[in-house]
Amino acid sequence: MGYTDPSSSRDLLGNRTLFFIFICAFAVVTLLQQILYGRNYLKRYFEFYEGPLEYNSTKCLELRQDIIEVKVLSMVKQTELFDRWKSLQMCKWEMNVTEANLSTLSRCCNAPSFLFTTQKNTPLGTKLKYEVDTSGIFHINQEIFKMFPKDMPYHRSQFKRCAVVGNGGILKNSRCGREIDSADFVFRCNLYRVTTDAPQRFHKLEKWRKPFYDVLQVYENASVLLPAFYNTRNTDVSIRVKYVLDDFESQQAVYYFHPQYLINVSRYWLGQGVRAKRVSTGLILVTAALELCEEVHLFGFWAFPMNPSGIFITHHYYDNVKPRPGFHAMPSEIFNFLHMHSKGILRVHTGTCS
Amino acid sequence: MYLGSNFQSFFCMCWRPVFLLIKMGCIGQRCDKAPINTVNSFVPFSRKLLEECCDPGQLFAMTKMNSPMGKNLWFDGEFLYSVTIDNATYSLFPQATPFQLPLKKCSVVGNGGILKKSGCGKQIDQADFVMRCNLPPLSSEYSKDVGSKTQLVTANPSIIQKRFQNLLWSRKAFVDSVKVYNHSYIYMPAFSMKTGTGPSLRVYYTLADFGAKQEVLFANPNFLRDISKFWKSKGIHAKRLSTGLFLVSAALGLCEEVTIYGFWPFSVDLHGKFISHHYYDNVLPDSGFHAMPEEFLQLWFLHKSGVLRMQLEPCEDPPLIQPSA
Repeated sequence: MGYTDPSSSRDLLGNRTLFFIFICAFAVVTLLQQILYGRNYLKRYFEFYEGPLEYNSTKCLELRQDIIEVKVLSMVKQTELFDRWKSLQMCKWEMNVTEANLSTLSRCCNAPSFLFTTQKNTPLGTKLKYEVDTSGIFHINQEIFKMFPKDMPYHRSQFKRCAVVGNGGILKNSRCGREIDSADFVFRCNLYRVTTDAPQRFHKLEKWRKPFYDVLQVYENASVLLPAFYNTRNTDVSIRVKYVLDDFESQQAVYYFHPQYLINVSRYWLGQGVRAKRVSTGLILVTAALELCEEVHLFGFWAFPMNPSGIFITHHYYDNVKPRPGFHAMPSEIFNFLHMHSKGILRVHTGTCS
Repeated sequence: MYLGSNFQSFFCMCWRPVFLLIKMGCIGQRCDKAPINTVNSFVPFSRKLLEECCDPGQLFAMTKMNSPMGKNLWFDGEFLYSVTIDNATYSLFPQATPFQLPLKKCSVVGNGGILKKSGCGKQIDQADFVMRCNLPPLSSEYSKDVGSKTQLVTANPSIIQKRFQNLLWSRKAFVDSVKVYNHSYIYMPAFSMKTGTGPSLRVYYTLADFGAKQEVLFANPNFLRDISKFWKSKGIHAKRLSTGLFLVSAALGLCEEVTIYGFWPFSVDLHGKFISHHYYDNVLPDSGFHAMPEEFLQLWFLHKSGVLRMQLEPCEDPPLIQPSA
């Protein structure tokens, strides 16, 4: 009698103890994280919010500087960047005309005459080089030439206020619809999605065409902008879109991106640090908008899995299909927009609209 | 695949006797008043034979009834090539052959140049059911000779390919061009050749997209194969039967009374006058594909035995030149 459990003294590093130690360590690490990175939450909590601050107030200058001084995306934690961005929302935004004019953008791409292929910039018989398939050449024949508009329908700074609408999940429940519609000119990017999806969803327009036409009807009189000369695979589908609209006697115009413009845009943004296989359509549209409009407002451009307040959002406002990784450098593009916002070149809307 | 053939070379060499024979027959007995009422033991026999071999009433077109989903379909114009009917294709078929069978009076209109200035338009239109071959032009200048009514018109994928760029680009031209056929069925051999399936289905999509009045029927390859076998046993040796003969065979199975117009594959008419190849143009087909004179001979036999009526003479006398008053 009186035997003790032989295992009781040896259980010091047993399963239960180890488990407990892990939990403790995890708790400590979390706590440290909160202390180190979470101080801004506390700071804001104590600050008294008194309506939007003036653009030129010292506080705002400081806040803007906070973002501008982040030169590379990897310099700060994402949450830190979000915090700075969120703080900046306190300030009113103003267009900085001098800064906008100083921007090298206008010299790079010349959207007012090279955004689309037109009869003027692409004469009959041109051997058009593709953007991606550099070895591919498209010979402009009479048939294709006739599809081009005579000249660019837009000129520099034609529109006062433009809205470029991305498809980010941040748009969901943002109630920005009215503000977007109040712009003089609205760019949207998801038609492009339709055409890249065309091979699957619309069978390259080789079979049924009415469903595709019906999809386009949602956009009423919008012009359809297609990357026909992006790579060889896109050309036929893009040209077919024109035929579909003509066949159904639609009022919608079809334009094709000039491949040289696309090349210039990617080259320009590469210089700005956007390293991607291909710049996104959104970025191209923003670039074009900066040249065609005086004031550019971006909606739904947010490529992070959570909104600035840290709440998780869907990838698109209409679905949550993640893109192919390593194709676009979305965060880097958005980061550039934030910079431009801080400099007063364009305005990025990430919150809810009134 | 065109209606028409290498008749010129043949005609000069070996078909002259046949032609003369027919001509002799015509002189002895007026051609346009064919002996349709002649009681001939051969009449029911031949039709019955055709019905037994091919069953046009059931198998004429692809229907949901004769081609269930998942059925393996062997192409009749290819060597050992088949497709399986999938959900998407199956949904394009009608439930059953969409005609009120049997049809009463049918006109089968070929495109032979003999129709030109024949004035047969009225007579053709009098039939209950008019079948035409290969999307022929029906503009007002021809309507006096070929009529304007159409219930069924065949279209070869090769025509879609040549005239409408396979319907891959603009489709309006096609939709506009078939408007002349009003409420008719467009009969397409979609499952005969590998290259024909795409264009044929596209015809269906196009007409459906535009909400056109025409409907597409797909030819049943089994039916076409049976018909080919049937005629092969009768002695027609060609790579492929012409659309015209397919259509006449189908008409014999579907209609009670069949009259055929414009079936004349020779370059001179009965009176020795030179005529164009088609009533609308004189484009000669590739040689060696169809055996038109052989087919014509078979049709001639059918005419002689009263199974069908073949119209070769003008239906109305050409208007005499009025002496100026």
